[in-house]
Amino acid sequence: MQHTHESINKALEEGLLTKVTKPTRYTGGEYNQVKKDWADVDVSMAFGFPDVYEVGMSHLGLRILYHLINEQPRMVMERVFAPWVDMEKEMRARELPLFSLESRRPLTDFDVVGFTLQYEMSYTNILNMLDLAGIPLKSIDRSDDAPLIMAGGPCAVNPEPLADFVDLVVLGEGEEVLPRILQTIAQFKQAGRWRTGSGTRGREELLVTLAQIPGVYVPAFYQSEYDEKGLFRGTKPNRPDVPARISKQIVADLDKAYFPTKSLVPFMDVVHDRVMLEVLRGCSRSCRFCQAGSIYRPVRERSMETLKKQAAELVKTTGYDEIALTSLSTADYTCVEPLIQSLIATHQEQKVGVSLPSLRVDAFSVNLAKEVQKVRKTGLTFAPEAGTQRLRDVINKGVTEKNLMETVESAFANGWTGLKLYFMIGLPTEIEEDLEGIAQLAERVVYRGTGILREKGIKKSVKVTVSTSSFVPKPQTPFQWEPQARIEELEEKQAYLKKRLKDRRINYNWHDAKVSFMEAVLAKGDRRIGDVLYRAWQKGCTFDGWSEYFHFDRWQEAFAEANIDPEYYAYRTIRYDEPLPWDHLDFGVQRQYLVREHKKALEESLTHDCRLDSCSGCGVCPTLGVSLDLRGEKHVPNSNRI
Amino acid sequence: MKSMYRIRIAFSKQDPVRWLSHLDTQKAFERALRRAEIPLAFSEGFNPHPKIAFASALAVGIVSLGEYADIELAEDMAPETVKEKLQQAMPEGFGVRAVKKVPQGTQALMAAVNRAQYRVRVPLTKEIEDGMVKAALDKSLAEEAWLVEREGKKGRSTKDIRGGIYQLSGHIVEGHLVLEMVVQTGSEGNVRPEEVLEIVVRTGSLPVDIERIRILRLGLFVAKGDRLMTPLEVI
Repeated sequence: MQHTHESINKALEEGLLTKVTKPTRYTGGEYNQVKKDWADVDVSMAFGFPDVYEVGMSHLGLRILYHLINEQPRMVMERVFAPWVDMEKEMRARELPLFSLESRRPLTDFDVVGFTLQYEMSYTNILNMLDLAGIPLKSIDRSDDAPLIMAGGPCAVNPEPLADFVDLVVLGEGEEVLPRILQTIAQFKQAGRWRTGSGTRGREELLVTLAQIPGVYVPAFYQSEYDEKGLFRGTKPNRPDVPARISKQIVADLDKAYFPTKSLVPFMDVVHDRVMLEVLRGCSRSCRFCQAGSIYRPVRERSMETLKKQAAELVKTTGYDEIALTSLSTADYTCVEPLIQSLIATHQEQKVGVSLPSLRVDAFSVNLAKEVQKVRKTGLTFAPEAGTQRLRDVINKGVTEKNLMETVESAFANGWTGLKLYFMIGLPTEIEEDLEGIAQLAERVVYRGTGILREKGIKKSVKVTVSTSSFVPKPQTPFQWEPQARIEELEEKQAYLKKRLKDRRINYNWHDAKVSFMEAVLAKGDRRIGDVLYRAWQKGCTFDGWSEYFHFDRWQEAFAEANIDPEYYAYRTIRYDEPLPWDHLDFGVQRQYLVREHKKALEESLTHDCRLDSCSGCGVCPTLGVSLDLRGEKHVPNSNRI
Repeated sequence: MKSMYRIRIAFSKQDPVRWLSHLDTQKAFERALRRAEIPLAFSEGFNPHPKIAFASALAVGIVSLGEYADIELAEDMAPETVKEKLQQAMPEGFGVRAVKKVPQGTQALMAAVNRAQYRVRVPLTKEIEDGMVKAALDKSLAEEAWLVEREGKKGRSTKDIRGGIYQLSGHIVEGHLVLEMVVQTGSEGNVRPEEVLEIVVRTGSLPVDIERIRILRLGLFVAKGDRLMTPLEVI
């Protein structure tokens, strides 16, 4: 049966929605939702988030692009999320296609379906969503007038495992390039060159035209080569009219960049249910494992005036009672103290609080948290990342044990009784001493905390949560050449810590090493991984990021059937002179810089933050023609971290 | 501290917000009141929250034309102003029907409301006469006990709901069985309209597609003797 928005609507209202948990995942209708008359638009896009509603609605990028595109008079953007397993079952039983929340149209009605790549473990959900929408999974199998399947977001740094499935990839920030892409598509349609309903053959021509827009990558126009031993040899254009390298696009002036003054207000609880104020983009602290630190450079801040205005408008248009200052490292914002004070003073009357999502390890951050605490209690989380000074120097996490202990003392002295500490295990050069360091650090925090609480006469017991994730080597980082620790090895390290962290006051949790292994394979994979993804999806893999739905055995079968050795991708030390599957995608950070940083890591030598010291020569500013943009009147380093 | 200013809001809840849970509805109200810039009174303590009390929880998926909430204000505001501002700030599907001041000393909304009126509609799977519906109703109402199974926190339990049925009628409209009822709700006990439908359908062996049941709550009432008064009429 050919479904329309009327038939989908009928199916939902007459029975389907009563069968599923949390029906508001699928109903839309949130305050500030934009519903347009399709007769008045030239081009339509569905923003696909390959995870469940409450995860997707917490994503700031979706909120920015949704309102940006919908403010364009002749463009429409609607939303679609991965239906939860109960909904998928009901939809498949009724042969109901995947639909958008706003108009309840099937996805095949849209000109573009764009997926955001936030996390490698959501890739099978993209395949599943295409299948639910009745869109052929592989680009090559799509008819001329099928929607264009687009991808973007942080994992677009290496989209090669998805090369068979997506028609175009957008590298970098979408605010400027996405309207341009949609405008080009609208012009093609208006000129009768695509989707006219009379069998036009415009798809390829349109993709060639789109490939001329800086930041747009069309995988089908490039060819990957491998040698007789199966080693990756490089990716090159297979036609003369597309660029050899594609460069990420960024917004040069964040203060002038578009930011919505209205925001969708979900009905059900979502992960981040508050006003999200983006204070800055990028981070130049240069932690050597961190991909975000590489790909969002350079640091660009918004001015206090702009942020105050945005906060006031958003509180008014959403009714939220909390403003979160979000960024990769909000404590680094040069105006963070005056901004927090001003926001609290302005909004205290309405009982609107301010929150900081993550904190750096230093006393300055505790002071900020104290300010914020005046209105609402928030938990404190610190990320020392490694257990010894030696290893922290390897990863360029410049924090010292002295910093950490001062921070912790200040936190306990200021009324906190519980803390969370994040570490990474399996980092390059890690030895037993480093693991022991994690345990000892956690114990010292507990002893110091207990002492302080006792001095203050507080009866409550200290609670310290230690979380370890496993190191995943990621593209465009100095550690991209490093092998990942084997699953068995990571599990041994976790067992060691489990045994060491027996104190009742310490709670230890860890990430599944098998998931980390899959993350490494998908993060560094080449186009051959596409076959594995397809087979894993056929075997029923979806929601791999949810532990209850992660089936490693299915993935292993998929690797075996595709005749792909996943260890080649995760465990191999890559030589500097080897070509990499993401070499044709330019994120601005230069290869020589990454090599230099990698060598410095092995020498346990530190690299300074270019905001506080001289330029570290990563190459982003000259390559992209932009520069560091700080808004503080006089920039005083607010941290004594190095 | 008891606030000086309390207002009672009568509202409806239709598509698409009929899918909101009770908790979601409370949150939606809180945010709409903030957007409308209605001066809310907050609770004391570390995590201050606005003082909003709903008459009764409405199950997910049920459309209602008669819901009520009491809200405490930090300062006086004319009911018409509240009505107008709030309606503009509410998500699509919520209708603000009336707003009235609540005098000091009025009984709490949740304690006062004890009756609910429903209309239940379900498609028939084959044509039947009106007389068959009447017979089913008569036979059901003649039973002394209406036993229903309920899933609770302590597992399954059996309950007799017959005493909570105050009015019940039924007829056929365009191939649908339609029941209208006034039943008990609130702290003394709660009768669910789908349970009433199930009993009538089972007793009279009526051919319906129970999966496609639609429930409409017509209103909530305060029973005073034989009279039913709306929560706005009692103040």
